[in-house]
Amino acid sequence: MKLSASGADLLAQLQTVSRVASTRSAVQALSGVQVSATASRVELRATDMEVSLRVPLTADVQREGTVVLPARLLLDVARSLPRSADSVSLELRPEQQDVEVVAGHAKFHLRTLRAEDFPPLPEPGGDTVVTVPAGAFVDTIATVAKSASRDETRPILTGILVSASGQELRMVATDSYRLSVKETVLESPLEGGFEANVPARALEELRSVVGSTGAETIRIGVRANQVVFEVGGAVLSSRLIDGQFPNYRQLLPEQFEHELRIAGDELGDVVKRISLMAQKNAPLRLSFGDGELTVSAQTPDVGEASEPLPVPFAGEPFEIGFNPDFLRDGLDSIGAGDLLLKLISPLRPGLIQSADDGGFTYLIMPIRLNV
Amino acid sequence: MAKRVIAHLDCDAFYVSVELLRRPELVGLPVIVSGSGPRAVVTTASYEARKFGVGSAMATAEARRRCPQAVLIPPDFPAYREASRAVWELVRAELPVVQQLGLDEAYADLSSLERPLPALRELLARVKAETGIQISAGIAPNRLVAKIASDLGKPAGFVAIGREDCARRLADRSPRIVPGIGPKTAARLAEMGYPTLGSLQEAPVEELQERFGTNYGRDLHRRAHLHDETPVSASTGPAKSRSNETTFDTDIADHAELEAVLRKLAAGLCEGLVKKDVRGRTVRIKVRLDDWTTVTRARTIEQPTNEVEVVTAIAVELLRAYAPPRPVRLLGVGMAAFGERDAPPVRQLALPV
Repeated sequence: MKLSASGADLLAQLQTVSRVASTRSAVQALSGVQVSATASRVELRATDMEVSLRVPLTADVQREGTVVLPARLLLDVARSLPRSADSVSLELRPEQQDVEVVAGHAKFHLRTLRAEDFPPLPEPGGDTVVTVPAGAFVDTIATVAKSASRDETRPILTGILVSASGQELRMVATDSYRLSVKETVLESPLEGGFEANVPARALEELRSVVGSTGAETIRIGVRANQVVFEVGGAVLSSRLIDGQFPNYRQLLPEQFEHELRIAGDELGDVVKRISLMAQKNAPLRLSFGDGELTVSAQTPDVGEASEPLPVPFAGEPFEIGFNPDFLRDGLDSIGAGDLLLKLISPLRPGLIQSADDGGFTYLIMPIRLNV
Repeated sequence: MAKRVIAHLDCDAFYVSVELLRRPELVGLPVIVSGSGPRAVVTTASYEARKFGVGSAMATAEARRRCPQAVLIPPDFPAYREASRAVWELVRAELPVVQQLGLDEAYADLSSLERPLPALRELLARVKAETGIQISAGIAPNRLVAKIASDLGKPAGFVAIGREDCARRLADRSPRIVPGIGPKTAARLAEMGYPTLGSLQEAPVEELQERFGTNYGRDLHRRAHLHDETPVSASTGPAKSRSNETTFDTDIADHAELEAVLRKLAAGLCEGLVKKDVRGRTVRIKVRLDDWTTVTRARTIEQPTNEVEVVTAIAVELLRAYAPPRPVRLLGVGMAAFGERDAPPVRQLALPV
């Protein structure tokens, strides 16, 4: 294998692909990036056996071939190459079992990893193939992703349930403490549809790939246990999560005692300020009285804070506690517009919705106070 | 700040001393307290055994080679804990601030005593009379010098020394004499042209920082001059982690066998956690291969636990994911990220999912 490419291109593509490379596998090749050069196309590939990514590299191929190089090291090399050299060349030296990287006067020899340990990556396509607008898709991911669980002992909850059909795109995520549902109405109906529980990690990667390629559409191929996203020239694939995603509709209460319309940015600012004093797992307290909400927090040995906010509350005063981070995540996703805050009682879930139908619903479980 | 008077108190050959108290016929003989497996190490050697070059942490096999006539006694930790409690209870009753480290040493802050040296001398004599344990003491303006001083007079030492005096006295010794400067650092220092503490004191701090990083470089410079402001704190707070590990008599390559050992270790760990009523969120395994490569893997879960099923499942999964590529010499499992004791109990409710 021998090729030359622009140093800036190589760096940009390596930055994207190397994030996927495994950092802790016993198989060394998985910590590598595979460089595959054919006459028609050069591709950089990485995988951790769950998520895989292939990105194209614009290059001049002098000799075809495939090598696997340590991802981290290659990235560090690419990052440090002299700015004055605009072209970098990579050449496999089979006898030395290394790759010579030359840019300007700088020359590196990087030992290759065992190419035969690097698995073949999924090809695009699938049983169902749907093309979706990239902007709407990644915005929907961004709205719900924080609610996905990071607790590997509950694999089902580490995914985002993605459903696409007709004019509707819906994503659902929950870590059992809060639940996010975002329904996005597409400008034009989709051809075909699918539903799949995709690891949140893979979708976060997809967001950054879309960001770096600037692609306008994503072609999604779904198979029995795999999903493949084609974005620009890049191909991101992921295994799907087995098992039944919780029936989220059952979790949403049908009726609430209180329904308050509040300006999202105002509540967001207050919550952000007062949260500073909710440390070491201390809850954020929301006390509702006539026409007023007081947000307060107290951490033993640190201090306390409180701030009132006028809200259209009427009825028996009550106080409810929330994890400050969870509440802020929900408010961040709503953004600046008006929101509806719906509550039942101190121990029942609260619900935050975009008031002017942004199609976003955030269910949040309280923290039991006064124990 | 008023001048500090800090004492480092260190029991002489503690385990051996406890053994000799119940087996007086061994007094005067070389005695080694150690396990008996092929990889056992010496925990303590009597001063008679030390004359043969036997020291703590030396492989027992090596110790026997150096001193074949030594009497080998298996460790009896409950007895040592009992003796330790008796010793430090006496010390605590007399001295204002005592910070115990392990079973056989402690720091004490004597700054508030009117006549610290006679008081301490009297106390140590009483400890010796009532428990039979001899404590060596180093008395100095800070912990670092006190620690060095307690070692200078051993056994039955009582050394009071100032910082500058101590630095002068140790000037031609290796920097290793200072706690916190290990063999690797000492070797690097020697390469840089600082083979002695005296020469290291002349080293510009910038050069040390260049070689050892900003923080450790500065720390080395301060240590070389025997500066230390660490206070003696009466309690060190609750443990931050607990672990249970074992070194095999012969290396184990079989993954199933390793898993069985790991399950036992996890069960032992959880038993201890349940007894102390602590729960942690981070389960960690430690694997040392036959080539001494040491690997740790950890996973943090959201809810603190000490349930043996949960901990075992995670530990086994971590081991399977790592799949040791070579025979394993040491295997361990640990728990960290304990719930903060003072934090209010959190009652985060969850959805029924």
